[in-house]
Amino acid sequence: MRRTDAADPDMTTTPDAGSLSIIRSTPDDATGSGFDIYIAIDASGQVFAYNGHVDLGTGIRTALTQIVAEELDVALDRVTMVLGDTTKTPNQGPTIASETIQITAVPLRNAAAQARHYLLARAAEQLDQPADSLTIEDGLIRAQSNHSVSYAELVAGGIVRLELRDDVALKDVNSYKLVGRAIPRLEIPAMTTGEMIYVHDVRVPGMLHGRVVRPPYAGVDAGDFVGTSLIAVDERSVADIPGLIAVVHIGDFVGVVTDREENAIRAAAQLKLTWKPTPTLPDLKDIATALRANPSTPRTLRDTGDVDAALANAATPMSRTYVWPYHIHGSIGPSCSVADYTDGGLRVWTGSQNPHNLRADLAKLMALPEAQIDVIRLEAAGCYGRNGADDVSADAALLSRAVGRSVRVQLTREQEHAWDPKGTGQLMEVNGGLDASGHPAAYDFATRYPSNAAPTLALLLTGAVPPVAATLQMGDRTAIPPYDYPAMRVTVHDMAPIVRASWFRGVSALPNSFAHESYIDELATEAGVDPVEYRLRYLKDERAARLVRDVAERAKWEPRPTWTPKEADGDVVRGRGFAYAVYVHGTFPGKAAAWSAWVADVAVNKATGDVAVTHVTVGQDSGLVINPDGVRHQIHGNVIQSTSRALMEEVTFEPSAVASREWGGYPIITFPEVPKIDVVIVERQDQPPLGVGESASVPSAAAIANAIFDATGVRFRELPFTPDRIRAGLLAAEEKAKPASPLKKRRLLAGLATFCTAVVGLIVAASPWRPAIAPITPPDVATYSAATIARGAQLAALGDCAVCHTADGGIVNAGGRALETPFGTVIATNITPDVETGIGAWSFPAFERAMRQGIHRDGRHLYPAFPYNHFAKTSEADLQALYAYLMAQPPVRQTNPETKLPFPLNLRPLLAGWNLLFHSPAAFAADPAKSEVWNRGAYLVEGLGHCRACHTPRNALGAEKASLKLAGGIAEGWTAPPLTALSHAPIPWNEQELFTYLRSGISQFHGVAAGPMAPVVKELSALPDSDIRAMATYLASFNPNAPTHEAQQAMAARLETITSAKPLNASQQGARIYDGACAVCHEPGGPQWFGSRPSLALNSNLHGASPDNLARVIVEGITQPVNGDLGAMPGFAHSLNDQQLTELIRYLRTRFAPDKPAWDGIDTALKAARGTIK
Amino acid sequence: MGPRLREDDAERMTSDPIRLTVNGTNHSIAAAPDTPLLYILRNDLELNGPKFGCGLGECGACTVIVDGVAARSCVLPLSACAGRSVTTLEGLGSRERPDPLQAAFVQHQAAQCGYCLNGMIMTAKALLLRNPHPSEQEIKQALRYNLCRCGTHVEILAAVMTAAGHHVARDHTAGGAADATH
Repeated sequence: MRRTDAADPDMTTTPDAGSLSIIRSTPDDATGSGFDIYIAIDASGQVFAYNGHVDLGTGIRTALTQIVAEELDVALDRVTMVLGDTTKTPNQGPTIASETIQITAVPLRNAAAQARHYLLARAAEQLDQPADSLTIEDGLIRAQSNHSVSYAELVAGGIVRLELRDDVALKDVNSYKLVGRAIPRLEIPAMTTGEMIYVHDVRVPGMLHGRVVRPPYAGVDAGDFVGTSLIAVDERSVADIPGLIAVVHIGDFVGVVTDREENAIRAAAQLKLTWKPTPTLPDLKDIATALRANPSTPRTLRDTGDVDAALANAATPMSRTYVWPYHIHGSIGPSCSVADYTDGGLRVWTGSQNPHNLRADLAKLMALPEAQIDVIRLEAAGCYGRNGADDVSADAALLSRAVGRSVRVQLTREQEHAWDPKGTGQLMEVNGGLDASGHPAAYDFATRYPSNAAPTLALLLTGAVPPVAATLQMGDRTAIPPYDYPAMRVTVHDMAPIVRASWFRGVSALPNSFAHESYIDELATEAGVDPVEYRLRYLKDERAARLVRDVAERAKWEPRPTWTPKEADGDVVRGRGFAYAVYVHGTFPGKAAAWSAWVADVAVNKATGDVAVTHVTVGQDSGLVINPDGVRHQIHGNVIQSTSRALMEEVTFEPSAVASREWGGYPIITFPEVPKIDVVIVERQDQPPLGVGESASVPSAAAIANAIFDATGVRFRELPFTPDRIRAGLLAAEEKAKPASPLKKRRLLAGLATFCTAVVGLIVAASPWRPAIAPITPPDVATYSAATIARGAQLAALGDCAVCHTADGGIVNAGGRALETPFGTVIATNITPDVETGIGAWSFPAFERAMRQGIHRDGRHLYPAFPYNHFAKTSEADLQALYAYLMAQPPVRQTNPETKLPFPLNLRPLLAGWNLLFHSPAAFAADPAKSEVWNRGAYLVEGLGHCRACHTPRNALGAEKASLKLAGGIAEGWTAPPLTALSHAPIPWNEQELFTYLRSGISQFHGVAAGPMAPVVKELSALPDSDIRAMATYLASFNPNAPTHEAQQAMAARLETITSAKPLNASQQGARIYDGACAVCHEPGGPQWFGSRPSLALNSNLHGASPDNLARVIVEGITQPVNGDLGAMPGFAHSLNDQQLTELIRYLRTRFAPDKPAWDGIDTALKAARGTIK
Repeated sequence: MGPRLREDDAERMTSDPIRLTVNGTNHSIAAAPDTPLLYILRNDLELNGPKFGCGLGECGACTVIVDGVAARSCVLPLSACAGRSVTTLEGLGSRERPDPLQAAFVQHQAAQCGYCLNGMIMTAKALLLRNPHPSEQEIKQALRYNLCRCGTHVEILAAVMTAAGHHVARDHTAGGAADATH
């Protein structure tokens, strides 16, 4: 930032009190003045230091503080580091390539030293002593005479600005007191208490909440459809959102602004948009083919020796291809920003790692001069290259401008995953081999790296910049192998991106090194030489060679010139692999960061294909170490993250978009999978400091691949090393080694589930209209006793009146709920005692006739969606109490839409015929052969409880099949399971479990009440235990051979045991999604969380005939549990696509209901489930 | 009609405040009952400890303790918290008087970006509440569904081990430990 004033609002003293600053002039054409400040010391002796880079969770703030305090000879707490703010810090480009310490700290260190020299000279004058006789301690300069003067005193009274010099004498490393020490990071205490302010925590007075809605081409940012695909915005679709301030759309940029965050979330999910279809992507399941087909320009980086001749003469030619998948940076916190656009100026609080570039982008987007934009950088979730931080800042700016107030925008997890500029896929091809004496003959290396400019999204979506894919030269990082091959050609094929991509830790150096370091291992094996020894023969860089030897020694590397099969421990074989690399970054030929070498130990389960990295010995030569703890922690982080990338990470794609949108679709490493790590730091305090943020990632994939080879004898040249890839590779190798054997026939499972959709064919003749019953003035409810009304309230709960007669978020019993039936949508009526719009004018005889015969007061027939065929069984006394309760409710004036069924169902008189055929208005008759409790249960279940209405199959005319009472039916698109011996539950119900389930909403042997059953159980809470017990007794009588509780427990233990392992024939993709998305709450024996932990092996829905309920629960979630004790389940409608959900459901069925056939119709079930999402 | 009925009905109204205790203070919150607790804590009570990470209960960044048990506040509706006691990171301790677990995280410098830290500490705290001396394996299992992208697992594990009474080497050489045979 060009500044004209050295005063900083952070300073504790005013500019007039005096200051010393070290600046670099940045002459401006217009004014001829302006400068960047590196160091400023105020009149209180406080030091302010400015760096254009930011701290991404690496501890850079602390390390820079150490450097400044060291050169200035002050205590650490005198130094305030200001990072990244565009109004204060120099523009030092984006924080990339781990170059803050190596590059941007250099002027800072010089500035601090220059300030010290200046102050020392001033003190020498004041104290009248030669400068070299003075000592400094924490900003106090002391003469041998014991006279002293402080920095504060020297600075006071004048404003001094010194132009930064590059030739200042720096302190001798041997005199360092702060640099080289493990200084605790300054911000960690605040992180542990919640006091740390991340960009996510910024609150501005009057701030609104925004969400963006991204286009369907998720993760694609080039092509003429980008910015031009939005056809229509249906603002009415969000008219019911409370606190809605604005729906904003510019080109393909769409956002909503509301008062509260949860309202913004709902609005964004609910907003109906129409988009043009978008073109399909190349098939990125096959990255090699896609990258070969992507137009490219070859760039030869090196061509030495006669490569073609050497290849032609190679004794053992070896041509190899290595494939790197797309990766997600995967910030744990989806990006967030707050923008305030007022009075023509813009202030943005951001987590960007490129604040100065962001400001330039914002200027372009908003057509504002940069001087009117203030970008304030706050800490954010780690981003490892680039995430959505810039995108969301631009989003917030647009929304703030639209509403003229400050707006906070939080990206969703799905948006962060899908639109994060990916670490790109890469293809490396090596042609080479051995000469007759086992030396490398030649090395012809070609790498294909789709570029990674990833312009800030809003610029593209609004059309501010054209969506043209730029080709950058980024594939050349560590493209030159470290080995001294006699003939070498290195070619980079520069190409445009296929999907949105940007640099990710290690950039192209990591994939390139995967190839270099796998290939040298293959050469060593072929030559019959130990792989470490073979490397050392051709590694001419002495620092590298020493590191390789140190790491091998620390790991107790045992030379292994030839590969021999490993002894298996059961199915598990172990192996170890070596790899070395130096991370070269910047424009070719680039600068080298720290050197790194790995020894990885793996265990491979040959049956399942699981690979565990059990131990990593990792060494690093980083030159001067500023903070050994900081370096060690960076190495740990790199080892763990790159192990995760190598073992399990891979972006999956839909035909025209990114498919991985949450942690199930894109799993990362978890605690039990983290290797033990042994760090070797090579001491080089006399050498300049090197970047340490990425180097230790670079050897990772090759070390692991080499270890897998050592364990199994099979080479894997494509990441990630997932169980399915490893198993397939091992099987293929086995097949190759053996004579051909017939392939196992895949078991074909007979699918049975046929699903009846009722076909309507109403042919009814009988006719009569019923007379109206005269309206009355509402009865005086004072004539009913409180006890009667209370009893009526219980009965209303039993009958679930409010469940159907209350709209979502509406007033209880005021109607308006749309009930989906096989015959069309029936709108529930208002049953509050409002005279005009409710039942206030209904006399008891009118009410009783409706309940027993299904006739409206005015004589109309009611549709049997209203279960009067069950209510008819209610006793007169109970109907009286129910009437009393309904009439005692507060009247609500609410007119609901009329039910409009299609012809001929719109002819209500036809229902008279239906009633004639299917309805018996007879009251309940007790069975004297049964107990009183049983009869009470039968009365409740068969009458007001109307359990049969859902749990009994219906005929084509929508009537319950009397012969199949409680044999299972359909409710609002959910399967209502059979309550008889036909139950699919793996553990049969008994009376106690029925009681527990109806009382609490959960049975440990079956699962929780969800879908339409959840409100039923909620309502039943009004009934006394005795009634619930009676219902359980009656329902249990349908299953005479019910097991005891102890027997149920034994069955549960058995089911959970036999389903505890991941079956090999199950969908591997489904398994990964389950592990990342479901296991947290459903894996038996997993951690304890608030709420229930339903065991899927016991869950009736997993064992049912159709996947309907499972699909519904996964898509919709259970957001309205029966009670708080059960917790809740999120819906995955917006997080997983149909392909992912299908694989997940297939996996769940195979694993948890292993004795049941695979389901047919998962696609239909998913379609139906998605149809219910607003 | 009696006043009882009005009350009954009022309980079902969306605008009726929901009462809960957060870090020892009683609050009455007027918000849609299906609002995830996370947004109430962050926006209404201005507690920055719990973080939004996924909204699906997958990553754990939003973890709080409800009635003594770890809960993922991004998927827990406000209505489920009625009458309950919620503890957030802020309720555990302060910089001046940290909980021993918080002190252990500082001691082991167990943070890189620190975004997942809330979930790590709160999940570990809930574990220690029911088992004050868990083994290394038990700690890893309890934290297995808390995601960290920076790769701070070694330091986090060391911090929780220390709080659980184990001796941990300063340089964390005893780190993680996968084994192969899942």
